[in-house]
Amino acid sequence: MQLSDRVTGLLVVGLGAAAAYAGSKLPPVPGQQVGPNVFPMVVGIGMVLCGALIALGVGRHFEEEAQADLAAHSDEEAPPPVPWWIAGARLLVPPGLLVFYAVASDFLGFLITAAIMVAVAARALGASWLITVGMAVAAPIFVSLAFGKLLRVPLPPGLLPTPW
Amino acid sequence: MNVYVEAFALVMQKDVLLAILLSAIYGLVVGSLPGLSATMATALLVPVTFYLSPIAAVATIITASAMAIFSGDIPGALLRIPGTPASAAYTDEAYAMTRKGQPELALGIGLWFSALGGIAGTLSLMLLAPPLAEIALSFSTYEYFWLAFLGLMCATLVARSSPVKAIVSMLLGLLVACVGIENPAGTPRFTFGSTDLLGGIEPIPALVGVFAVSEVMRAMMTAEPPKLPHRRFGSILRGQLELTKKYVAPQVRGNIVGIIIGVLPGAGADMAAWVSYSMSKRFSKTPEKFGTGHPEGLIEAGASNNASLASGWVPSLLFGIPGDTITAIAIGVLYMKGLNPGPTLFTERASSMYALYIIFILANIIMIPLGIIMIRIASKVLRAPRSAIMPVIVLLCAVGSFAIGNNLFAVLTVAAFGVFGFVMERNGYPVAAMVLGIVMGTMVEQSFVTSLIKSDGSIWPFFSRPIASILAAMTIAALLWPVFASLLGWWRRSQAQASG
Amino acid sequence: MTTWTRRQTLAAGGAAGAAATLGLKTAAAQGAYPNRPVTIICPWGAGGGTDATARIIAAVMEKELKQPFNVVNRTGGSGVVGHSAIATAAPDGYTLGLMTVEISMMHWQGLTELKPDSYTPLALMNEDPPGVQVKGDSPYKTVKELADAIKATPHGKLKASGTGQGGIWHLALVGWLTAMGLKPDHVAWVPSNGAAPAMQDLAAGGLDIVTCSVPEARAIIEAGKARSLAVMAAERNPVFKDVPTLKEAMGIDYTTGAWRGMSGPKGLPKEIASQLTAAFKKVNESAEFREFMANRGFGVKWADADGFAKFMDEGNKAMGVAMKAAGLAKG
Repeated sequence: MQLSDRVTGLLVVGLGAAAAYAGSKLPPVPGQQVGPNVFPMVVGIGMVLCGALIALGVGRHFEEEAQADLAAHSDEEAPPPVPWWIAGARLLVPPGLLVFYAVASDFLGFLITAAIMVAVAARALGASWLITVGMAVAAPIFVSLAFGKLLRVPLPPGLLPTPW
Repeated sequence: MNVYVEAFALVMQKDVLLAILLSAIYGLVVGSLPGLSATMATALLVPVTFYLSPIAAVATIITASAMAIFSGDIPGALLRIPGTPASAAYTDEAYAMTRKGQPELALGIGLWFSALGGIAGTLSLMLLAPPLAEIALSFSTYEYFWLAFLGLMCATLVARSSPVKAIVSMLLGLLVACVGIENPAGTPRFTFGSTDLLGGIEPIPALVGVFAVSEVMRAMMTAEPPKLPHRRFGSILRGQLELTKKYVAPQVRGNIVGIIIGVLPGAGADMAAWVSYSMSKRFSKTPEKFGTGHPEGLIEAGASNNASLASGWVPSLLFGIPGDTITAIAIGVLYMKGLNPGPTLFTERASSMYALYIIFILANIIMIPLGIIMIRIASKVLRAPRSAIMPVIVLLCAVGSFAIGNNLFAVLTVAAFGVFGFVMERNGYPVAAMVLGIVMGTMVEQSFVTSLIKSDGSIWPFFSRPIASILAAMTIAALLWPVFASLLGWWRRSQAQASG
Repeated sequence: MTTWTRRQTLAAGGAAGAAATLGLKTAAAQGAYPNRPVTIICPWGAGGGTDATARIIAAVMEKELKQPFNVVNRTGGSGVVGHSAIATAAPDGYTLGLMTVEISMMHWQGLTELKPDSYTPLALMNEDPPGVQVKGDSPYKTVKELADAIKATPHGKLKASGTGQGGIWHLALVGWLTAMGLKPDHVAWVPSNGAAPAMQDLAAGGLDIVTCSVPEARAIIEAGKARSLAVMAAERNPVFKDVPTLKEAMGIDYTTGAWRGMSGPKGLPKEIASQLTAAFKKVNESAEFREFMANRGFGVKWADADGFAKFMDEGNKAMGVAMKAAGLAKG
């Protein structure tokens, strides 16, 4: 996922250009001299300019200083040597679990969905089975008591309604 | 004097004191949970206040919001996940201190200077409410435009990366703020036909995504880091007195900036923290230490955001105009309890008003012992295995973002911004700057467009109104300074190369 | 794990569902509606006026029907999300909603398909007419003077605000200008994020007129920073007895307002609907509700199911006319 500045700079240019173009297509509003198109266009053009600067490597030396600084007192280790596709799949676990919650919680209910989320995340992070099961049982109950009961957030009951 | 006695009697009721204590604990817990902001802590309290007496109801809002703003610093310092947008400005700084092995110092600063700032803000509310209210009412959209612009420029100051990338991040945030129908023209923009996008992307799910979810994603990539050297968590308050003496100027500046920004409707604790942190860096004698775990910026910003919280009540109480999202909710509660905002609140119901002041002071005082307990409990997080903490954070992100509007779309927003934040961070684009852009975007556009409509397209009022002209001068000076500084640096380097 | 097939999952779900309905049926045999908690959807955020109104209604209903009434804020999409949640809920009487005036506006702008007739109307509870506010030290002492000044100034010179582009208070201004025989944009509309920032800008000298409901302007009027010249209503507001109606002050019979009313999804059983309407009538007349609304300065209004349906239908048509005149309607 680490891309060169040339690539990210050009991506920014592209996004900015798309925003400016889409913005320019917005219809004007009667009675307003400055329509809804102006702001996205200004932002888009700004992104095109800055993206071009990044692609050309302007401002690079600030980052080198900062990185040197960070490296001086950093304990971050190199990623463990696993195949890239396993690393990539692991990476997508957290956002994937959120999507899973959005899709499944209405049907499965809060307790089951939350237990699955916690269990999958814990395993992906290398937790022992004991911790995994313990957290998967404790965390959903605790959260549902705190939010559903105390704060009256309507958590979906689904297949396994909470007894409280 | 009689009024004070009456007010004291109002506060010293069993139900009020209990409400303060419980809502203090509640605020500390909710604020410290990643994915739940101070605004949400307040919003979730509304149904509860329905069953309380008027003073107790307002006390819960005051106490919970003050506690939540402070405890938003806790996950920021310990896990690099800010609990509230107000903490996002200095999260990296606080986390750097933790990595240097000084988590207690970072959190102690947050606690101590939050409490002092909160008391300073309360004093301003007590003594200066009428003149502060005049300031609030002298701000038209022209002044707000400059203010918002100044706020956006903070993006380049807080980041320790390429300023160009910081600006791009900020622009991305502004672009995100464009989404939806909540723009001056009332035209749906970039909604791709989705009803959910019509209301725009709220700052909180975006914040939770780019900080919390992307942090969990990073954890997935790296091996469990070596435990911080196991040692007793040192005294939390030790050293704060010396820091108070050493950094008088930043602290006073933080309080003043916080009070002024808090009073202005629409600009709240979030902006106060950003502006103060970057002011601290600009005026510091050692700006190069910022971002490496240096207390100065934390002091100024921590003082500032809690000071703004109290002064934000000035326009709310006098005119019913909310100073920020928290007081917007508080106004609703005030009305519901028959404490209608307005000047009569200060005259006819003076004892209730003084009771509010006393509650503010009380809240900031009990913040210190409760905060210490909270920090001690939270610091266990540093010892717990990462594989037990991170799954709970993911779950809290889902529940917290859902609770904002009981809308599952917010959960998807969090997921999307998690991926986005991860990619940005990997490539050196500071995500904090994007959060700033999202928070400020609406205000920038709104104030700019409405100003132009009001002036029939002329930009003259942006410079001719007295306060606007001062703000304009400040903005332009701040804008030209980095150009000047980088030219100077370039000149020095080339000199050095020429001589070497 | 692998033996747990999709079919079994569904079966388990079906069993759980059947158990739930079974439980319901026995309960229903014992007592009539409502025999479990009722949800009231509020399409706007916690702490606002609609939220407060929903909560007071829920509190009184709880006493009336002896079951918990829970208010759930479903925000997003500028009200569209919450309104569609009301419309798509199961029509069993256990999910109701507090609708707001936006339901008769959003479909004209092409933001949603939902219209007032996509619901089972139950009861109209509140209506707040807009007032015409000027700055505290403004030279215009009466609405007549202001109207003359508006007519005398060139097109677009004066600026007004109160809400976003195409919001209810914008249309109030458009309606008033049209009733005076002027163009809908004779006074330029400055969009704002609601009434509070507009009132603040009025006091800061950035605007000439703010049209918003009197309760929204109340605190700042009491502070002497603004004055209300007239209300666009049939009757004066009891909190501001000195402020005349438009008809009294200048003979223009133009009224409008932001309203809130209870409704359920379409197809609510008749018995349940009429039971609810009767209960809402008691709420509307209760001392608790009246006192709360008076405290906030909100106007109490009552119409039963048929009256509410008729009220919304008329309002809906009037909105269509005004929005087309102002160029805000799509198509």
